[in-house]
Amino acid sequence: MSRILIVEDEQHLATGIKFNLEMEGYDTEVVGDGGPALEALAAAGRGEGPAFDLVILDVMLPSLDGFRVADRMRQAGDYTPILMLTAKSLPEDVVQGLELGADDYLSKPFDLTVLLARIKGLLRRRDWAQGGEGSGLEAARIGDAVVDFRTFEIRTGERLTRLTLLEAMLLKLLVQSAGRIVSKAEILEKVWNLSPETQTRAVDNFIARLRRYLEPDPRAPRFLHTVRGTGYRLTL
Amino acid sequence: MPASGSQLSAAKRPKWPHVSMGIALIVVAVALTVGWQILGTSGGPSLAREVGTLRWVVYLFGSLLFLLLIGGLVLIVILLLREVRLNERQSNFISAVTHELKTPVASIKLYLDTLRMRDLPESRREDFYRTMDQDLQRLNSTINNVLSAAMFTDRPVADPQPLDLAKLVRRAIELTRTRYQLGPDAMSYEGPESLRVSGDAAALETAVLNLLDNAVKYSGDRIDVDVEAGSNGDGQAYLRVRDHGVGIGRAQLPFIFNRFYRIGSEVRRSRAGTGLGLFIVRSVVKGHRGTIHAESPGPDRGSTFTITLPSLLEAAAEPEHV
Repeated sequence: MSRILIVEDEQHLATGIKFNLEMEGYDTEVVGDGGPALEALAAAGRGEGPAFDLVILDVMLPSLDGFRVADRMRQAGDYTPILMLTAKSLPEDVVQGLELGADDYLSKPFDLTVLLARIKGLLRRRDWAQGGEGSGLEAARIGDAVVDFRTFEIRTGERLTRLTLLEAMLLKLLVQSAGRIVSKAEILEKVWNLSPETQTRAVDNFIARLRRYLEPDPRAPRFLHTVRGTGYRLTL
Repeated sequence: MPASGSQLSAAKRPKWPHVSMGIALIVVAVALTVGWQILGTSGGPSLAREVGTLRWVVYLFGSLLFLLLIGGLVLIVILLLREVRLNERQSNFISAVTHELKTPVASIKLYLDTLRMRDLPESRREDFYRTMDQDLQRLNSTINNVLSAAMFTDRPVADPQPLDLAKLVRRAIELTRTRYQLGPDAMSYEGPESLRVSGDAAALETAVLNLLDNAVKYSGDRIDVDVEAGSNGDGQAYLRVRDHGVGIGRAQLPFIFNRFYRIGSEVRRSRAGTGLGLFIVRSVVKGHRGTIHAESPGPDRGSTFTITLPSLLEAAAEPEHV
């Protein structure tokens, strides 16, 4: 049974979401602010309770907002998938959320069926990225770097780097398409679940991050190439 | 139809005062430079030497223009800063209204979807209907606030009618008690049975509800609000709302009646609201040629809001306590 942390200060919404998730068989916990959310996640990380498989995170919170919670989680090495749920639906808000570490974004008001589908999708994507059912890929070697998709880790010699869900999914897509050009539109659709027309620098930023993890010299990439005007290609 | 708040404010001052002032300053600077050039190159100084007094006139005029230039620059900076602050407040307001409108809509939709999707026992359905009803009230209150901010301006009330302020305040207290499900001790009333004033009943009710709403929202965990009404002897009626909550910092006090003003950043929403409540109260009170005053001993020490209305029609009857 997956365990979900709901971070929502609006009591009616929190109660409604909790009720529906429990009806779907998830185990849930509700907190009303960013601080308690980080505490609950840290406690689970210390083994003081069952781990969370997903966080539903509101952006506008009383003292510590959702953007900062996502950022602090990632800084602290917590890569639990995050579904941001908020009234702010402008494209720049979506991009800001995704760049700070959210894995998916749903604006209020939302359809209950869409919310449930997104939660299932995120949990499935995490399983897929971790080499679960149907993905057929648990690890890869890129130059000196060894990527373990089960643990979201890249080991290069002594250095160990943890990947976020989206970073792992992007890398996995590139590994599975090695030698082939993968377009930005395809990445947006398959990894971010966004329309291919979305105008964002998020993909470029994520590619730059992956280069820092994989390449001996990120400015002169040997493995992860940009094909100008077309997309990206990984050569193994 | 009354002009909206934004229309009125636009009519009161030019839309881009700093732009026209900037142009005027450029003209002054050019006049100053060209003037000195002409005096320097076309025999001006020799002319001035010939006529001693003329030199002093030229210096005096030049210095005046220079001072004008400096003063204008200072004024432009002040105006620009004001513009920046207003833009920030407007952006905060849009975020706040977005949140205040979308949150209850999202909640109602979630409960409707749940009712449609799931087979629920009657008691659970009743719970959900109650929740939806509360969300509808919240939505309605936000819409009313936005409309009120556009409707009630500082202009004098067009058609004042006799009304009973004491009765109006007691009804507002009852509405607030119901809305926030407060116990009888959470909000007390002290004042006369009847207090006849002349004014716009709907506008005054909105103002009083906003004051009470604020007192509850900013009360913290223990809600203890004292409401007092009466006449102060010189033909004025007054209403005082005192809470024992979070209080107001000295730095924030001068700004709390400004439109869109909310304490803190909008992405952190410690309290629901749009930043229009106290602006509406002030507009309504000004429309009645009254005054409004806020005081607070400091953070966590409560606040007191006092409004006075000059249109008392008759002396107050016997006081009563609710």
